[in-house]
Amino acid sequence: MKTRTKQYKQRVDAALATPKLQQALHQFGDAYLLAREKAFEGFDFEQLRADVAQMKDCVLVDRQQLQEQFIANAEAAGARVFLAKTAEDANRYIADLVRERGVRLVVKSKSMASEEIHLNRAIEKTGAKALETDLGEWIIQLAGQRPSHMVMPAIHMFKEEVAELFSKQTGREEPAEIEHLVQVAREQLRQGYLEADMGISGANLAIAETGGIALVTNEGNARLATTLPKIHVALVGIEKLVPTLEDAARVLQVLPRNATGQQLTSYVSWIRGAVPCDGKAKELHIVLLDNGRGALAESDKCRDALRCIKCGACANVCPVYQSVGGHVFGHIYIGAIGIILTAFYHGLDKAAELVRACIGCRACVSVCPSRIDLEGIILHLRETLGDEEGVGAAKSLVFRKVLRNRALFHTLLRTAAKLQKPVTRGERTIRHLPLFFNSLTEWRSLPAIADKPLRDTFAAIPQQIGKPQYTVAFFAGCLNDFVYPEMGESLVKVLNRLGVRVTFPKKQNCCGVPALYSGDRETATELARQNVEALLAGSPDFIVTTCPTCTMALQRDFVDQLKDNPAWAARAEELSAKTIDVARLIHQYLDAGDVLGEVAEKVTYHDSCHLKRGAGVWQEPRALLEQSGRELVEMAHADRCCGFGGSYSFSSHPEIARRILDDKLHDIEQSGATCVAMDCPGCLLQIAGGLDNRRSKVRARHTIELLAESVGKG
Amino acid sequence: MNETNLIRTFCDAAEAVGAEILRPAGSEQALGMIRELATGPVALPAFPSGERLGLAAGLAGLGIELLTGDLRAGAAAAALGITGVNFALAATGTLVLESTPEPIRLASTLPERHVALLDPKKIIPDLVAATPLLRQFHQQQPQNYLAYITGPSRTADIERVLTIGVHGPKELYILLLEGLSDDPLEM
Repeated sequence: MKTRTKQYKQRVDAALATPKLQQALHQFGDAYLLAREKAFEGFDFEQLRADVAQMKDCVLVDRQQLQEQFIANAEAAGARVFLAKTAEDANRYIADLVRERGVRLVVKSKSMASEEIHLNRAIEKTGAKALETDLGEWIIQLAGQRPSHMVMPAIHMFKEEVAELFSKQTGREEPAEIEHLVQVAREQLRQGYLEADMGISGANLAIAETGGIALVTNEGNARLATTLPKIHVALVGIEKLVPTLEDAARVLQVLPRNATGQQLTSYVSWIRGAVPCDGKAKELHIVLLDNGRGALAESDKCRDALRCIKCGACANVCPVYQSVGGHVFGHIYIGAIGIILTAFYHGLDKAAELVRACIGCRACVSVCPSRIDLEGIILHLRETLGDEEGVGAAKSLVFRKVLRNRALFHTLLRTAAKLQKPVTRGERTIRHLPLFFNSLTEWRSLPAIADKPLRDTFAAIPQQIGKPQYTVAFFAGCLNDFVYPEMGESLVKVLNRLGVRVTFPKKQNCCGVPALYSGDRETATELARQNVEALLAGSPDFIVTTCPTCTMALQRDFVDQLKDNPAWAARAEELSAKTIDVARLIHQYLDAGDVLGEVAEKVTYHDSCHLKRGAGVWQEPRALLEQSGRELVEMAHADRCCGFGGSYSFSSHPEIARRILDDKLHDIEQSGATCVAMDCPGCLLQIAGGLDNRRSKVRARHTIELLAESVGKG
Repeated sequence: MNETNLIRTFCDAAEAVGAEILRPAGSEQALGMIRELATGPVALPAFPSGERLGLAAGLAGLGIELLTGDLRAGAAAAALGITGVNFALAATGTLVLESTPEPIRLASTLPERHVALLDPKKIIPDLVAATPLLRQFHQQQPQNYLAYITGPSRTADIERVLTIGVHGPKELYILLLEGLSDDPLEM
């Protein structure tokens, strides 16, 4: 293992050992979602974010012209504009200014761009003092730390720690009462504004039409820092450019709502040009920062990240962030967007561990106010890393030599089924693995590989059906095929009763997601070809799946992987169009009403990440479960990831996966249900394993199994 | 939205973010309300509607110590700052202050209390409706400092607990007074 990876694991372990932080971040995540929902009441979030995305995409195309327009207007209003290609350029310009003007004290309002370039260090090298005035920034400046959240920099700290820092500053014992501590900050920082020779701010918007900037803040420190000192330096990332004041309003409509659940922040300050200051014109410098943004704009696969308006929401809803915090799941910028920005602003090496720590649940994508496919971009970075650093020798060998060779892969799985006998003790569940494998089962029992995979038994399943309404090919996926073959029997039973004949194309292979998610795109593409060939062979009406990750591979990834190959592109499109999740197939195309018999059971439903946020399926299984007479009770955070994530929970980050699973099990048990349903064999492996490990009375089942039970009674 | 609804929406939204709405019957009562709030010197920058109202003379007549002119030296010691309002946004309870003159900024940032005089006729629906006015300011003047103010200064930076009054005013009073001005470009 790389030293870097080892050190990262140590930091993960340390973070996981501080439950107080996790508790705070979980509470924050819950409160955030409620506040956000309320703030968007009466607004169409999808429309608002589509508008922001479209506007930002236009900015990307016209960026050169808009930048020139902004500079011309800003200069006409008396500002001096400096284009900084790199962090060093920006630091040098500002440090030179500090020296030339004899500045002794700089007051700063919160600016992530200044964190990005380590501006404070550059200022302090000149002998001047940089004083952070945003409360959170000041706290972490006193603590000698960096922000752990883009909007709330000191979210990881507690009032007792703040009181200690403030006491050192004032020389008195400051009680750990929040209101008092806020007052201390007010008093301590007030003199700073009055004495400072320079104020430094960031900007949330740079408006080409006016040459002005806008600052979106709550505390009022930005107003003071841009008013009292005679020099104002605004450090502005070039991605903050918007064409017009209408476009600025578009951002303002979503930014506070999505960042903090506010309709609007306490202050929005629109500053254009050298405004009056102490009877003269203020000296205004605008430093436009590139520092990797230009390179990001040139990257086909990643450039959408420049749409980001820095609301921080992707962290707020992220189960990994909630488990380990922003110091571990971030570099300077944190959360999902932080991973991408780190890769471009600070280097792929700095982002490597973060890229792998994303579990891929797409919770961030669903709340992003600029509609950035954060997970998609992170996956791409993982591929790039795979190309640069390799995907790990052992993994690489498995992907290239084994996965691509279906016969070998399946022989190995069959062999594994026999080899596991001593630990399974003839049961279907592995509760304890010996030696160092033990860590895999200490928090989650594992299902055994079935004696016979579905592919071997499928032909023997009786299909009692006269004239079928549809013929569907079943794509089982590895887990359904080799671990849960009975799920396939349930599927046949239910679909037969609904007039559907099911076939099992034997040449189907792994969907390729494990390879793709590990950064081996070549293997994934080879698997896409094998599966397109196998699944379209019998010209089925649909290709039906029980695993949403496989669904996304068939529906989305194959199309992308084969789009440049003329021989395959159209066939991949055809497969995509015919692929459907079994719950949606039944709900949308078949009438299950007369077939499902009543089962008296209280069931709660777990939304699988790729089913809800990938395939858009979440109402269908719920409707079917209710049709089967079951009482559906919603658990809290039903659509929060269970922590499975494929190899994430086995090899790369089992300790984080375990923490996320604990949350899920807690929510399941709190729901009062006796059964938890889901539509993903991966989630089932994780959740059933966790419940079994706890000896819970709640049973976990795939929806198709519950429907099969019900069909039996119909 | 008609005028009554705009006013109601504005008041609800402003109160929801912690501003206090005062509705004096006339200018005399308005002066009285300000006197109640003025526990010390009052920072009073010049603005047209305030001058028409005779604020300076009226407050001085009530025995209030006024800080006027260049407020850089004095505003930090003021108990209260008074400004007008150019116009307001109903949906969010937001005041829009054309604050290019420095004293307007100082009076609305440094003291712990900010009293803003708003003519209810100048309440418009929302952010989107404000944009054309914002553009007019930009066309009128070569430099601008325009401020949207929504409630008092706030933070949640310690343990995410909402706390009012960090660096800006701890209290925001909005005096709704008819007949101040009907021009949104004028304060």
